[in-house]
Amino acid sequence: MYGGGNTFEGIKTDSIALEDPIKLAEFEARIARGEKIEPSDWMPQLYRKQLIRMIEQHAHSEIIGALPEGTWITRAPGFKRKMSLMAKVQDEVGHGQLLYSAAETLGKPREQMIEDLINGKSKYSNIFNYPTFTWADCCFISWLVDAGAIVNQLANAKGSYGPYCRALDRICAEESFHLKYGHHCVIYLASGTAKQRQMFQEALNRWWPPMMHFFGPSDKISAHTEVLMRWKVKMGTNDDMRNQFLDMYVPKIWELGFTIPDPNLKKNPETGRWDYTEPDWEEFKRVINGDGPCNKERLEVRRIAEERGRWVREALKTSKTAYVTPLA
Amino acid sequence: MASLDPRVNRLPAIAESVSPKAPLDQFGTFEVFVQPKEGKPFQHEGIVHAPNLEMAYVLAKEAFTRRFTCTTLYVVDTREVFASPMTEGEKNSYDFIEDVPAEGGAKVSFEIYHLTKRGKQHMHVGSVKAGSPREAMVLAKVKFNTSKVVYNVWAIESDKIRFTSEEEKELWLTLPEKKFRDASDYKGGDKLKDFLERQN
Repeated sequence: MYGGGNTFEGIKTDSIALEDPIKLAEFEARIARGEKIEPSDWMPQLYRKQLIRMIEQHAHSEIIGALPEGTWITRAPGFKRKMSLMAKVQDEVGHGQLLYSAAETLGKPREQMIEDLINGKSKYSNIFNYPTFTWADCCFISWLVDAGAIVNQLANAKGSYGPYCRALDRICAEESFHLKYGHHCVIYLASGTAKQRQMFQEALNRWWPPMMHFFGPSDKISAHTEVLMRWKVKMGTNDDMRNQFLDMYVPKIWELGFTIPDPNLKKNPETGRWDYTEPDWEEFKRVINGDGPCNKERLEVRRIAEERGRWVREALKTSKTAYVTPLA
Repeated sequence: MASLDPRVNRLPAIAESVSPKAPLDQFGTFEVFVQPKEGKPFQHEGIVHAPNLEMAYVLAKEAFTRRFTCTTLYVVDTREVFASPMTEGEKNSYDFIEDVPAEGGAKVSFEIYHLTKRGKQHMHVGSVKAGSPREAMVLAKVKFNTSKVVYNVWAIESDKIRFTSEEEKELWLTLPEKKFRDASDYKGGDKLKDFLERQN
């Protein structure tokens, strides 16, 4: 589960000017032909840096994203829901592993990434810094946050970096279960008692603003990404991804009789795009900078896990194996 | 730390920050190969980090074969993988492998893998007997280099691989039974239809 768009630094075009122009032209031609870049290929420093940043944040989002859902495993309604949710959370952590591996091929060791996460240096999707008060919050994540992630991931799977695309192909295949499971849960709440419907409506009201943040700042204010789009690092603008999500899922939410807490939300027949109330980007910035409702708790849980697992890692350590960069 | 999560509330307190780690204090890297169906070639799936080959095998099973049906897998230390140069376009990686005189001494088995489409996975194509990885590449060039362009070749000494035994293949027999991991197990259409009809 991952929201894109909030991850790129402003690009200093100077760094591209320092690259070998012949190699750069060959690199760009290869991408333009639709070929994938592999770890041993030449690549501009900016490409490497932005990919590490993006894939690493994606991996962190999978690991941290498992926490707000994982909290509901013990309280899921019934044995089948518990089993499904456990399988889903296990998948999310597995996705983190696949993505860390892809980022490692670019030269950043996994331990360094984990250290950057628990020390607050690296970012992850803002949405996982919000609390899951009820089972309905958990169902919102399973259905709609995963849906948003799939929109991003399907687009990024067509990107240019081979190891990331291969990881995403596998992740997207696994996510289809998550999406169907999440929708199934929400259909049961929607068609259940008045209390169950109310519970999901309240969850929808709570999660809609973070869901709109999920795709990153509006194109009007987000960093310049033309080069990253040309290099197929970023496969669509934040607003394009948000619009695609709204196109696919607003009708499904309305079909279930729920109200989306935005009086301005409607499809504009002239532009073919959705009009909506501009999300509160100040809140977005506050949360991404560590001041969200659960930022501290999420990192603390990871930190404790790291500290408590230390003796196991120490006991298993041997000089017979060695960390090396993965091949592909 | 007061949390909505009862498990978090039960966690012990620790010092505010984790003590710094030694640089690259982490487990070794192992490559994972999976056979999706009986008779199909093994394909490279990715890596795991583990303290030894046995643990790598266990972790690989969880990471790469818990979801989709397959018959078996194997793992090998990444340092045991010998790779040819990566090529592109119409350039065949085998053309960059120089012939070397056959080496004397004991011959051992090497597994050979091809990358025939950039962006996809390396696939197992067969094995050769050679005195060194370099000689294995040369022999593979004779045995497996057809008209199709090969962008990258890997050679791995068979004895270094942690294969799956016949008995262990039972590990994957129950995969098809775990329907709760399949999208097809979550059909909500009828319930949704009933609900919509009740609304109208």
